[in-house]
Amino acid sequence: MEDTRKLVKIADEIRSSLAELQQSRRHECIRKIKDSLEKLGQLNHNADMFESCLSRGWVSAANMSGSRVYSLLHEFTHTTLRTKDLLGERGEIPPLRFLVDELKQLRQEFGSFDFEQHRLSVVTEPITLEGFYLGPFRIEMDISGLNDIYRQTPYFVIALDPHPAATDEAVTHPHVSNEKICEGDGAMTMRLALLQGRLCHFFSMIRSILNTYNPDSPFVSLDEWEGIACYECGYVMNRENCYFCPFCDRDYCEECSTYCRGCDESVCLGCSADCEICEERFCKGCLASCSECGCVCCQGCMEDGLCLNCKEQIEQENKENENQQENNEQQKNQIKKQRETTPSEQVRLTG
Amino acid sequence: MRIMFIDNDGGGFADYIDISEGMSVEQFFKDRMPDRKAENYLIRVNRQPVPRDYVLQENDRITITPTKIAGAVS
Repeated sequence: MEDTRKLVKIADEIRSSLAELQQSRRHECIRKIKDSLEKLGQLNHNADMFESCLSRGWVSAANMSGSRVYSLLHEFTHTTLRTKDLLGERGEIPPLRFLVDELKQLRQEFGSFDFEQHRLSVVTEPITLEGFYLGPFRIEMDISGLNDIYRQTPYFVIALDPHPAATDEAVTHPHVSNEKICEGDGAMTMRLALLQGRLCHFFSMIRSILNTYNPDSPFVSLDEWEGIACYECGYVMNRENCYFCPFCDRDYCEECSTYCRGCDESVCLGCSADCEICEERFCKGCLASCSECGCVCCQGCMEDGLCLNCKEQIEQENKENENQQENNEQQKNQIKKQRETTPSEQVRLTG
Repeated sequence: MRIMFIDNDGGGFADYIDISEGMSVEQFFKDRMPDRKAENYLIRVNRQPVPRDYVLQENDRITITPTKIAGAVS
C-alpha cells in the first residue's frame, strides 16, 4: 500500500511534467512553422531576383542569385522536414494508472529505480564493449526539465565506475561525453516514447545505446580508447595531437617531432637533422652530403653537389689559379720579349 | 482481432493494428520484422516477457525494443 502510494505520487509529478512537455512541443511546432515560412519568404524574394537578372541578361548576377536560391532551398527543406517530424511526434498525456504501470515495469527491467529531487534514475548492468570494461551507468532524467527538452537535454548518463578514454576524462563511453549521450539512431524514437509517457522504453533505449558500439561516429573510438603512445617518449595522446612520421611509419608527440623546412612534412627527430650550413631542420629526403667535404646540408645550401662553403672555396681557388696562370703568362711574355730584342737594342736599353 | 503494437525500432510506431487470430509472438515478429533476429530485441506482451509460442489475444499490447541502437556524435 505504501509502495503504491509512493508510485502514485511519483507518477503524478511525472504526469504534470508530461503535460508541460506537450505544451512545449506545441510552442516549438509554432516556432518551427514560422521559421519555415520566413525561409519561404526569403526564397520567394531571391527567386524574384534570379528571374529579374535572367530577364535582363545579367549572367554573373543571375549566377550569384541562383546560388543563393540553391542555399535557401536546402535550408528550407531541412527546416520543413524538422517541422514535419515535430508535428508527427504526437502523444496524449497518459493516465496515472499507465504511468504507475510504467514505473513498475521500470523496476522489473532494471531491478529498481530511484526518484530524488525530481530526478528519476535507473542503473544499468556493467557495460563492456569489444573487451573494454566501461562499468555500470546511472541513467538520470530530470522530470522538472522535460518542458525544456527542445532547448536542452534533461537526461544524463553518469558512469558509476568510470573507465574513461585515456585522452579525455569526460568521455566515459564512446557515445557519452560530459554525461550527455548521443542518441544517434534512437533520437526520434526516444523522444516519441517520452512524449507518450513510455518511460520504460525510454530508459531501455538508452541502455541499448550504451550496449552498442558505433565505430563510425564515437566521441573517442575504442581503437584509441587507451590513447596513442608516442613511439619515442611514451606520452599518451589522442589522434588529433599526434604527428605521423612517414619515414619510420610511427606516431610521435609534439615534443618528439618537428617539420621539414624544405617540404613541410611532419617528421620525427630521429628521421631529421639540422643542415650544417643554415642550421634549419630538414627531413632525410631534403638533405644531401657535400661531395667535397661530406657535410650534410639542405638543397638551399648546396649547388652542383657542393655545399656553399666548398663551392666558395673552390671558386676562390679557381680564381687564384686563374690569376696565377695569368701572372705566369705575363711573365712568359715578358721573357719572350726580352729574348727577341737585338743586342744593340739591348746595349741601348742597358745604357 | 485488434492489438496495440509499439515498435521502438527505426522511426518508431505506436498504434492499434489488426492481426489474424491464433497468431503467436514468434509469427508476429517474423511477419513484422522479417529480416531481423528476435534475440536482438526485447519483446514484451502486456509489459511481461512471454515465451515465443504465446498466442496473442484481443487488445494485447506488444512492444518490440532493440537491444542494440547505434549512438552517434551529432
